[in-house]
Amino acid sequence: MFKNFKHEKIETNAGLLLVLTMFAVSIGGLVEIAPLFFIKDTMENVEGVRPYTPLESRGRDIYIREGCYTCHSQMIRPFRDEQLRYGHYSLAAESKYDHPFQWGSKRTGPDLARVGGKYSNEWHVQHLIKPTSVVPESVMPNYKWLQETQLDVSDVGDRLRALRVTGVPYSANADEYQRNVKQFGEATAKTLHIPDALNNLVNQAQAGNFDGDRSSVSEMDAVVAYLQVLGTMVDFNKIKPEDLVKFR
Amino acid sequence: MSATKVAAVEQYDYDIIKKFSVMAIVWAVVGMFAGVYIASELAWPFLNFDSPYLSFGRFRPVHTGAVIFGFGGSALFATSYYIVQRTCQTRLFAPGLATFTFWGWQAVIVLAALSYVTGFSQGREYAEMEWPIDLLILVVWVAYGAVFIGTLMQRKQPHIYVANWFYLSFILVTALLHTFNNIAIPVNLFSMKSYSLFSGAQDAMTQWWYGHNAVGFFLTAAFLGMMYYFVPKHAGRPVYSYRLSIVHFWALSFMYMWVGTHHLHWTALPDWASTLGATFSIMLLLPSWGGMINGIMTLSGAWDKLRTDPIMRFMIVALSFYGMSTFEGPLMSLKDVNALSHYTDWTVGHVHSGALGWVAMISFGSLYHMIPKLWNTQMYSVRLINAHFWLATIGTLLYITAMWISGISQGLMWRAFDDFGNLQYSFVESVAAMHPFYAMRAIGGMFFLTGMLLMAYNVFATIRQGVRAAESSQSRPAVAATA
Amino acid sequence: MDWFSHAENTKPLGLLIFFITFCLIVYWVYGSKKRSKILEDHKNIPFLDDDEVKDKSNG
Repeated sequence: MFKNFKHEKIETNAGLLLVLTMFAVSIGGLVEIAPLFFIKDTMENVEGVRPYTPLESRGRDIYIREGCYTCHSQMIRPFRDEQLRYGHYSLAAESKYDHPFQWGSKRTGPDLARVGGKYSNEWHVQHLIKPTSVVPESVMPNYKWLQETQLDVSDVGDRLRALRVTGVPYSANADEYQRNVKQFGEATAKTLHIPDALNNLVNQAQAGNFDGDRSSVSEMDAVVAYLQVLGTMVDFNKIKPEDLVKFR
Repeated sequence: MSATKVAAVEQYDYDIIKKFSVMAIVWAVVGMFAGVYIASELAWPFLNFDSPYLSFGRFRPVHTGAVIFGFGGSALFATSYYIVQRTCQTRLFAPGLATFTFWGWQAVIVLAALSYVTGFSQGREYAEMEWPIDLLILVVWVAYGAVFIGTLMQRKQPHIYVANWFYLSFILVTALLHTFNNIAIPVNLFSMKSYSLFSGAQDAMTQWWYGHNAVGFFLTAAFLGMMYYFVPKHAGRPVYSYRLSIVHFWALSFMYMWVGTHHLHWTALPDWASTLGATFSIMLLLPSWGGMINGIMTLSGAWDKLRTDPIMRFMIVALSFYGMSTFEGPLMSLKDVNALSHYTDWTVGHVHSGALGWVAMISFGSLYHMIPKLWNTQMYSVRLINAHFWLATIGTLLYITAMWISGISQGLMWRAFDDFGNLQYSFVESVAAMHPFYAMRAIGGMFFLTGMLLMAYNVFATIRQGVRAAESSQSRPAVAATA
Repeated sequence: MDWFSHAENTKPLGLLIFFITFCLIVYWVYGSKKRSKILEDHKNIPFLDDDEVKDKSNG
């Protein structure tokens, strides 16, 4: 069987070379990626993780637009120094609604996975407009235009609908809304209802007053709303460490 | 004499190769300038000029896109069209389609850069292009595959030379990676914005499967194809061992696809996946070094060429950097080393020892060899090539040394504890401590860019000289006839 | 078949696939003297493409 195998066949047949190369390169990807889609054990089942509200989601869009991930990670590793500096290590479940993930690969600035609630809204606004005004040694660019630019809310419904197609449980009808009430509770379910997206966005911006200006919704409102929710969804006081270890 | 020269030029389809070669040099200048600029922004942040279009976050993908896909991509198109014709002793299949790949690819690079600065990004490293550009890439890539495979099919040489195998695997894998890593749902048909289909850990896995294999097949396998043709050709002696090159090819193709998860050590990705990635990363050292040895030993018995020929020096130094980077890579994939190196400048330094030292230098060597042949002339100035070589080497060394120091100091400062068990440094102290090394990195980049400018001038003068010679040799018979 | 669905088994599986494939490749590359000779002859292909060959036939 094996004796009949001639390498010249591969060398002289472009089609065969193509197929075999394809086979060789496919195995690695299949073995590593495919299980993640089929094995339930890859993710912890923790309470509290919910999809972003329309305002937070728009803030996340801006975070991606400005390329924040080129300098900030959102993935705390299970080391003592990172625990002290940033907080509890990140769980897979905490980014399960992140399309795309923003774990990052470089910390020119600090990790932001649990930056939510660490600083006041005013601090964030000051810091984004001129980082050196609150952190003199910072090398971060000034993001003044976030405060000056009105948030484009025209397609917020379309954006949530696209996210819904990817599997994020935003509700488009009464049935889906009821399902969300069961899963997340009524208050959260309301913020995930696509027909009310625009109202919810404006209400949250005005109630939160993230940029210190209630008269309009700026990009700053959205970004700060997003930063303030990062890493705050899971209450780690309610989780026993041994429940998480088996997922590492 | 003149008649045979024209015939010689027309033996192969050179027009498309000329176009890609010129654009490779243009994108190298643009991309490296963008690189020096963003490096300077980190050292001297006022350079962001409070402008959304120039801010680091938006400008960084302009740099990576222009150097990887603009410079690297164009150099690969040019050399693959050159090598596949010459080793198959045939002309290109479907030259019209090949011309389409040129305009299509240039459009991709321009549109991508414009879309980044105006704020459209998928937020995935090295795959920031939004969905309409991704579709264009796919179309161009299918056309490229058709031209390349079509040319292989109509070859006059029964055996397919090994360089073409590497190019073939690069074309196949890039198509595969690009397609699966960019599956996204657009907001609507008229919106540039889209959301990736996968989320969280699955998305991370897909992205780094793409990210590392873009390095493995776009920036390694394809450039090895370049190496397997141009090093023997320029040295005037066949490759050291053809059998080794076969083992090299299959081992590399098979193993590279496993290693992407080493970018996700200690993250929320399941442990087994990243351990598997690390295991294969270490094994990958063997084929990598096999390939390096095969390239360098090709020169055995003709080492004196290194002293006299700066083009040869580019190629051999490129192989040395390849060897160094492929040693450093497996080292950094070890979990304990990665715990220190990840998220730091060490990674950036590692990428650039591969990108500047290996990818750029092997391309420079190949282009310096190929361009005079395309225009049927000699390089305008060998002294300028020599100057370019030294500027590039010193620039690369400055760059990676700066990043080693800053990367390792970041890693150590972040994990340092004082006597009471508290963190010794605040984060921003580590930022402040990096300033001198960021300046040194920017200066290293300036050296490299200066060398690149010398090359651009040298190539420009070479082309001008080639075109003039061709014009005068064409007009001479006419003069003779009238006389 | 159930064995394949366990994540922890991908490591030995991967190792096995890799190692067998590698041995096969090494065997057919270095296994026979005749094949070695044929393979090594291919290394001269880059030198068959020179324009000069064509020039001579033309001129």
